[in-house]
Amino acid sequence: MIPVVQRLRRNTELGLILLGAVVTAGLYTLASLGTTANLPVNIGPFLGVVLALLAGAHVATRRLAPASDGVLLPLAGLLNGLGYVWIARLDPDLAALQAVWTAVGITAYVVTLVLVPKARDLDRYRYTFMLVGIALLLLPLVPGIGKTVNGARIWLQLGPLSFQPGEFAKIVLAVFFASYLVEKRELLGMAGNRLGPVMLPELRHFGPVLLAWGASLLVMISERDLGSSLLFFALFVVMLWVATERLSYLLVGGLLFAGGALAAATAFDHVRQRVDIWLDPWAAATDQGFQLVQATFALAWGGIAGTGPGLGNPDRIPLVETDFIFAAIGEELGLLGSAAVLVTFLLLVGTGLRIAIAAQAPFNKLLAAGLTAILGIQAFIIIGGVIRVVPLTGITLPFVSYGGSSLVANYVLLALLIRISADNAESELEAR
Amino acid sequence: MNRQIRRLGIGMLVLYAALFVQLNVIQVLRAETYNDHPENTRAVIRDFSRPRGQILAADGTVLARSVPIDSPFKLQREYPEGELFAHVTGYFSLNAGTDGVERTYNDALAGRTGERIEDIGELLLGEPRTGDVSLTIPTDVQRVARDALGGKRGSVVALDPRDGAVLALWSFPSYDPTVLSNVDIEAAQEARDRILADEANPLLARTYRETFFPGSTFKVVTAAAGLASGSVTTTSPVYPTSNAYVPPLTSQPIRNFGGGTCGGALPDILRVSCNTAFAQMGVDLGAETLVTKAEDFGFNDAPPIDLPAPAVSPIDDVASFQQNTPVLAMTAIGQNAVRSTPLQMALVAAGVANGGDVMVPHVMREVRDNEGRVVETWEPRSWKRAIRPDVAATLTDAMRGVVEEGTATRLAVPGVPTAGKTGTAQLGNGLSHAWIVGFAPADAPRVAVAVIVEAQPGASEQTGGQVAAPIAQAVLSAALAANPE
Repeated sequence: MIPVVQRLRRNTELGLILLGAVVTAGLYTLASLGTTANLPVNIGPFLGVVLALLAGAHVATRRLAPASDGVLLPLAGLLNGLGYVWIARLDPDLAALQAVWTAVGITAYVVTLVLVPKARDLDRYRYTFMLVGIALLLLPLVPGIGKTVNGARIWLQLGPLSFQPGEFAKIVLAVFFASYLVEKRELLGMAGNRLGPVMLPELRHFGPVLLAWGASLLVMISERDLGSSLLFFALFVVMLWVATERLSYLLVGGLLFAGGALAAATAFDHVRQRVDIWLDPWAAATDQGFQLVQATFALAWGGIAGTGPGLGNPDRIPLVETDFIFAAIGEELGLLGSAAVLVTFLLLVGTGLRIAIAAQAPFNKLLAAGLTAILGIQAFIIIGGVIRVVPLTGITLPFVSYGGSSLVANYVLLALLIRISADNAESELEAR
Repeated sequence: MNRQIRRLGIGMLVLYAALFVQLNVIQVLRAETYNDHPENTRAVIRDFSRPRGQILAADGTVLARSVPIDSPFKLQREYPEGELFAHVTGYFSLNAGTDGVERTYNDALAGRTGERIEDIGELLLGEPRTGDVSLTIPTDVQRVARDALGGKRGSVVALDPRDGAVLALWSFPSYDPTVLSNVDIEAAQEARDRILADEANPLLARTYRETFFPGSTFKVVTAAAGLASGSVTTTSPVYPTSNAYVPPLTSQPIRNFGGGTCGGALPDILRVSCNTAFAQMGVDLGAETLVTKAEDFGFNDAPPIDLPAPAVSPIDDVASFQQNTPVLAMTAIGQNAVRSTPLQMALVAAGVANGGDVMVPHVMREVRDNEGRVVETWEPRSWKRAIRPDVAATLTDAMRGVVEEGTATRLAVPGVPTAGKTGTAQLGNGLSHAWIVGFAPADAPRVAVAVIVEAQPGASEQTGGQVAAPIAQAVLSAALAANPE
C-alpha cells in the first residue's frame, strides 16, 4: 500500500515541479523580451539550474521523506521561481544573489530533512529552542553586531555576512510554542470563570499571553519591526487558541493587540505615521505615502491582464524587490497574476492545515498548524499592507521577496511541514 | 484541536478573500481613477515609449522621428532639421508637453486613428500601428524663407491660395525641438530654461501666434471694402492730391510718409500707398463697412489652421469707432486699432488671389499608416467668403500696378505677373515693421505670401519695399518652382 502512495505522491510532485519550472522559464523569457526585446541569452542554463535545484530537492524528498505530501514543494518552487523572475527583471545583480540564496535554501531544506528524521525529535529540545528563539529575537539589539536598515533594527552583521535572525526566530519559537502548549494545554484550557457564553480560564493562565504580548511589544518598540511583532504575537495567540480550544484566548489576545497597537500609535511617531498613510496615503503622495501610492498606481495600471512581464514600470516603487514585489507582479500580470499568487498561498495554507489535521501526535498537529499560520499570516500582512487592507508593516513575502534569510528560513519551515506529513503517512501505516 | 484548525482555515480564507476584494477594487473598479491621477506618470511614460510615426516635409524629408534609446522610455524623439521646422512640428516633451503638429496630430502619429484593425492576428502579433504625417511644406521653400530672412526678427508665410496649403512658415528666432524633447527630464528642463531666458523668445511662433500693426498692407482690406461697397471704383472717387488729411473731430492731420503729396483714384493711391487718400476712404466708408470687410477676411476670428492655439488678429468693434473718426482713419491705413498675424495677412493676399475665397490654411497633406496606406488626406475647404470674384479681379489688377510701377517693384518675379502691397507700420520710436504681401502668377495665382521684418530703422514707405520685398520675392520664386500647376 505505502509504496503505491509514495510513488503516486512523488510522481505528482515531480510533475508539478516540471510544470512550475515551465511557468518560471516562460515568464523569465517573456520578461526578458519585455525589458530588452531579446530572448534571454542564458535561457538554456537558466532552465537547467531551476530544474536542477528543484529536482535536487525532489530527489532528497524521495529519499528522506518518501511518503510526504507532494504539493508543498512545487508550490514553494513556483513562488520562488516567480519571485526570481521579477527580481531578475528589476535588478539583475540582486537576481544573482537570490539564485545563490535559493541554492542555500534548498540545501537547508535537505539538511533539515536529514537532521530531523521525526518531527517529535524536536519536542525534546523545548527550552533550547526557547532560548535560541529569544536570543535570535534580541540579537539585533546587541551593540556591535546589530544593524539598522531602513529604520528597523533587525539585522545582524557578522563580518561580511548579514542576516535577519527574526526570520529564523519565528520557526524556532513555533517549535517552542508547540512543545510548551501541548504540555500545558490541559491546564491552560481549564475553565475557571464564565463570562456569559465564554468560558474564561483562570486569570493566572493568561500569564504566558501577557509575556508574549510584552515580548512582541518590545520587538516593535526596540527594533521598530512592526511586521515581525505582529506576526509573533498572532502566531502565539493562534497556537494558544488551537492548543487549548478556548476562544477566549483569541479574544483576549485580539483585545490586547488592539490596545497595544492603539497605544503604540499614540506614543510613537513612526507607528502613527504608518496608520496615517494607511488611512490616507494620498495626503502624503510625494513623501511618506509615496511607496503605497506608487504600488497602487502599479496595480491599477496592470488592470485585469497586466502589462506583460517586463513591460510595466514597477521600478518606481521603493523597495520593490523585497516588501513590494507583489505590486510588481500585480502590475505586469494583472489581477489574474496577483490572484494566482493569493491562490498559491491559499493552497500552501490549505495543504499545511490538512497536514495538521491528519497529524496524530498533538505536538505535530500544533507545530504544523503554527508553521502554516506563519506562512499564511506573513503573506497576508505584507500583501494586505501593500494593497492597504492593513497598515503597512515591512516584512518579506515568503519565497517571493528578495532576501536570503527569509528564503532560507522558509525552506526550513517547508522541510518541517514535509517531515510532519511524512510522519503522518507512517503512523497511518502503523495504524493499519 | 481539529475544529480550531478548520476554523483557522476558514479564518485564512476570509482574510485572503478580503485581499482578493481589495485587489478587484484597485485593479478593476478604481483602476481608471488611479491611472488618471496627476501623480501617476505611467500614461506619460506609455505615450513616450510607444512607437510614434514620422513627420515628413512635402518632399519626403524627415522632420521628426523616434529613435531607440536605452532608457525606460525606450524611444527618443528627434528632429533632424533642427530649428528649421520647429514652429511647425513643435516638440514632444515630457516636462513641457507637446506643441505644433506633434500636438494636433498626436492621435495620428500614435496610430490611434485610421482604419480598424483587420484581424485578431494583427491585434496580437502585429506591429503597433503608427501614422506618418506628411506636410504641405517643401523643405527647400522653408529653407529659402529662412535664408532670405536671415538673422532679422520676422516671419515668412507662404500659402497656396487655391487650397490653403502652407508652403512656408518660418519665423526668426527659432529653437531646436530635439533638446526640448529629451527624455532626460533634467536636460530637457535645462534646455527649456535656456530658451525661455532668451529675450527674443524663440519659442514663440511669430507667424501665427503674434500680432503686429499691419501698416499699409491693410490698405488691401480697405480697398476691398470700398470696392465691395460699390462706392469706390477704379476711376472714382478721385482723392484730392494732398500732403495731409484731417479727419473730422480732430485737428491732428494724417500725413504721407516723408511729407509727400499724393492723391487720385484707387489704382494710383494703392500704387504709391497714399495715406491721406486711404484714411479718407476709411472715414467715408464708415466703421461698419471697414470692420465687416476685415472680418470677412478672417480678422476677429482664429484661423482654423491645423496647428495649436493660433492667435486672433483683432480689429476693434464697430461701436468703439463711434465719435472716433481719427482712430477709424488710422485703422484704415493699418495702424492703431488693428493688429494682424503674418498668417492672417497671407490669408488676405490668398483670399484676393483665390477670387475672394479664403481657404482653410493647413500644414497636413496626408497621413499614412506604417505600411504606407493613406489613412487621411486633407480635404480643402473654404474658410471665409471675403469678396466677390469681380472685386478680387479689380483688386488684383491694382496690386499688379503696385509691383509694376509702385512701392513693391522688388517683389516682381521675373517673367511672372506679380501682385503685391507693401507696408510700413510705424512704432513711434523711429522704428517700423517692414511688411509685404503678394501673390503670383497674378493671372492664375499659385502662391500667396506675407513677410514681416520687425522693428527696422526708418519710417519711410520705402522700408517695406526695400527690406521685406526681396525676401518675399525669393520665397515666391522658390514656392512657384516647388508648387507647379
